[in-house]
Amino acid sequence: MSVNDQDPGAPIEPGSPLARALGDFAVPELPAGFAERVLAAAEVRPAPPPPLRRAVVQRRWRLGQRIAISLASFGALATAAAATGLLQQLAIPVPSAGTVWAAITGTAAAAPSPEARRAAPAAAPSSALVAIEGPVDTPEELGEAFRRLDQVRADRREERRMIIDQRIKSAIERRRAAGLPVPSPEEEARLRARIESELVRREQRADAAMLARRENMQRKVEGGEALTREDIRSRPRVDPQLRETVRELRQLPPAERREAWRRLSPEQLRALMDEVRARRAGAPADPSAPSSDSSPVPAPALQPAPSPAE
Amino acid sequence: MPVAPPLAPAGDEAVWAARLAQRDPAALRDMVALHGRALHRLAYRMMGDAHEAEDIVQEALLRLWDHAPTIAARHPVGSQAAARLRLGGWLQRVATNLAIDRLRRTRRLCGGEVPEEEDGAPLADAQIEADERDGLARALVLSLPERQRAAIVLTYFEELPNAEAAEAMDMNIKAFESLLHRARTALRQAFAAQGDAP
Repeated sequence: MSVNDQDPGAPIEPGSPLARALGDFAVPELPAGFAERVLAAAEVRPAPPPPLRRAVVQRRWRLGQRIAISLASFGALATAAAATGLLQQLAIPVPSAGTVWAAITGTAAAAPSPEARRAAPAAAPSSALVAIEGPVDTPEELGEAFRRLDQVRADRREERRMIIDQRIKSAIERRRAAGLPVPSPEEEARLRARIESELVRREQRADAAMLARRENMQRKVEGGEALTREDIRSRPRVDPQLRETVRELRQLPPAERREAWRRLSPEQLRALMDEVRARRAGAPADPSAPSSDSSPVPAPALQPAPSPAE
Repeated sequence: MPVAPPLAPAGDEAVWAARLAQRDPAALRDMVALHGRALHRLAYRMMGDAHEAEDIVQEALLRLWDHAPTIAARHPVGSQAAARLRLGGWLQRVATNLAIDRLRRTRRLCGGEVPEEEDGAPLADAQIEADERDGLARALVLSLPERQRAAIVLTYFEELPNAEAAEAMDMNIKAFESLLHRARTALRQAFAAQGDAP
């Protein structure tokens, strides 16, 4: 067996049938006047194009050149996008030069907490505060008043949620300490969801009412009317006489107090609720602690209805 | 077997290049005399047509005429670069590329497909008849794809070492050897298909 039988790509052996067959491939001679024909063609051949301006030596740098141009173009586009605010619209964070330098040098400050981050945008408009002098009689002053109210409302909402969370935890701890059954995580989650939905519903209600009131106030201010502090407050100040009534009511025995409670007008009821809120605001941080209320009437009896958070 | 052109002493090729750069017709005539026949053999075996082969040889020589100033500038007489200059190799590379380009252009214009890989199927009757008319060897070589054909022509007919043949085809040596292996395989299969095993 020859090599060629094993490997069809092996060199062609001289004298093999294939080599003999290929040997028959005769080539004709060049024609006699071929050289003159080439010379004549060379004479009439147009001049070759001039060499490229780019030297051959520089060819090897073409790739590097292209990479550099691409990087520069990308940098220019990115800078333009950052300068025009496009990246901000696309929610792409653009670190400041100081941040980048701090990250490089390792002197970066600790990342701000989420609360601080949330507070930052709220603090931003403070630079453009509008001073409210006397009654509110311009749209700017009214807008500033609304902004302050919104800030207070937002803080209250946060505080309310924190209190709710703390109360739930305290209640669970109390029950656990007392050996009572405590809600499972699923039950606790359901409770929290229910409370949250109630909170949201309440806030939506309040927002709707507030919006209507604000529109009314805006119309008044645009009409040239000046608004007092009491006009802007969400509720009118409680009548001192009513407050005195409430104080008397607290001193009644529970049965009589309940009877008197039913006889109260809606305004009186609202005043009562305000009183409860004010007392809560001044309550100690731990709601689970026994109330040190100076009121002679036990607080639970005065509460008109349990809050959704409770 | 081919008659190798007389090798010029080291540096003489640079002298010819310098003369061509100075537009010396006698230098071009020397180039035709020195390399014309070898180029014609190469082109004819690639194309299978005498007129096409002459055109390729003429075009290769005229390209040398065009590029002579650049070549002479890169290989000044007496320099180390001049000792490495081989105008014959340069012409072979140009002629090979011209032939491959023409074959590809012809394939595109004809719309037919020249297989890149070997095809073991026997040829059609009409093709066999045409091949018999032109000669078995010619038919065998022309049945190869253009690059395989160039590899066979350069190494078997022109007896170039693999390295020089690879240089003439602008390939690295490993790729050329792979191509040559496939070319020989295809050639043997075509020969076997003719009814005569190697």
